[in-house]
Amino acid sequence: MSTEITAGGKPFVHHHSAHCESGVTSALFRDKGVEISEAMIFGIGSGIFFGHLPFVKWVGLPISTFRSQPGAVFRKAAKRLGGEFVTKRFRNPRKGMDELKRVLKAGQIVGLTTNIYWLSYFPNRFRFQFNGHNIIALHEIKNGFRVSDPVLDHPVDCLTEDIERARFAHGPLEPHGFMYYPKEIPRNPDLRTACIKGLKDSCNMMLRIPLPIFGIRGIRFLAKRIIKSPETLGFNEACRQLANIVRMQEEVGTGGAGFRFMYAAFLQEAAELFGSDDLARLSQEMTAIGDVWREFAVVSARIVKQRGQAQDNFSKAGGLMLVCAGREEALFRELNIVVRKLKA
Amino acid sequence: MKINEVPQDDVPYFSEGIKKGNYALDDQGKYVMVPSKGWDVDEFINSLAFNEYEAKVEETRKAVLEGKKSPLAYYMELRQMIPEFLGKTAGIATFRVKRHLRPEIFAKLKEPVLDSYAKALSITREELKTVPHNSQER
Repeated sequence: MSTEITAGGKPFVHHHSAHCESGVTSALFRDKGVEISEAMIFGIGSGIFFGHLPFVKWVGLPISTFRSQPGAVFRKAAKRLGGEFVTKRFRNPRKGMDELKRVLKAGQIVGLTTNIYWLSYFPNRFRFQFNGHNIIALHEIKNGFRVSDPVLDHPVDCLTEDIERARFAHGPLEPHGFMYYPKEIPRNPDLRTACIKGLKDSCNMMLRIPLPIFGIRGIRFLAKRIIKSPETLGFNEACRQLANIVRMQEEVGTGGAGFRFMYAAFLQEAAELFGSDDLARLSQEMTAIGDVWREFAVVSARIVKQRGQAQDNFSKAGGLMLVCAGREEALFRELNIVVRKLKA
Repeated sequence: MKINEVPQDDVPYFSEGIKKGNYALDDQGKYVMVPSKGWDVDEFINSLAFNEYEAKVEETRKAVLEGKKSPLAYYMELRQMIPEFLGKTAGIATFRVKRHLRPEIFAKLKEPVLDSYAKALSITREELKTVPHNSQER
């Protein structure tokens, strides 16, 4: 944790977060005097999810996601907490940069959507073309900006050129210089109503999407594919895809186990807010499920590393994922009942 | 995951000092944010993907030196782009970008075209004309 001064002379406290989007959103709320944690934003914005998209290829590998689509957490959390935000996209990079400088000069910190490849303060190994990374610009400095990147544990400097490239990068999910900052945020947002909305939405997303690739059904779908993958794809390609799933699960900014621990943290906070023992118990169950996901990562890494020499094999990895699916299904079904008893 | 279960493996080459935030339970069973130095599993999985990328870049570099591809192909690989997105960034149609990956066509390109590629790839025009003779340079 470290403190910075914005152009408006206000102190800004940088919090280390696990996920970029929820981190940025909670920092924007905190800047307006509303103390709210990252996990809370993640839960209210219904960030938890699962999806496996075998037909969408990213560097030749299918996408598995453990969170809702980029931008959704911010949008939903802002709406449910009654915050009014100014959001802008630009066609012209020059105009986009001028507007950013103007807003920063007025003393307002700004959330930016960027391409992680062009943010040169990351080590090379973390840099890949992904257009959904969120950061906060704090104030202008010589040749650049002071930037608070929530996945780092301290604010950094970034060159103007890099920021411009990152904001106006092309590719899937083009950011178009997307920038957002709060216009008006209620002093005391109604956390309880917002939590209930977020919980209900998460239950629906995990249980009720009528497509076999999303939610709990998506986990089962992927698990079965993993079990069959050595036969259908050949051992090497199967390893490559398995490694990719683990990468999506543990890569920068999930808080561990594909956001499951972060969601458990949210359930814990919600349990305190409502004084509900049911939620506290569900939080513990979510932690246990997260541990199974971690075990899946460890087993998968061993399979890839030892080339199937040891007793670990694809059916074991897929089996662990089926365990996760079963337990998550039970958890969300129970949550669906518990949430209806909560009073706003 | 408890605090003492948060992996703190030493992988300096991989993490370069960046600490990842992990959520873990403290002694009272409350969730707190714990920075993690790194995790072997994560490092291994990530290095697979990274090595694959590096191998591809290296392969392209050799192909360029052998005269099979244009330097543009190398820098495109290096920046993890594909012709479609490189074309969009540089303001050049995708089919032209694909043609420019052939060395004989690339050699005839005029300066303004080279400049827009150089700008899109964040390198100088001179750099764009050749590839490094030794591997790995960013």
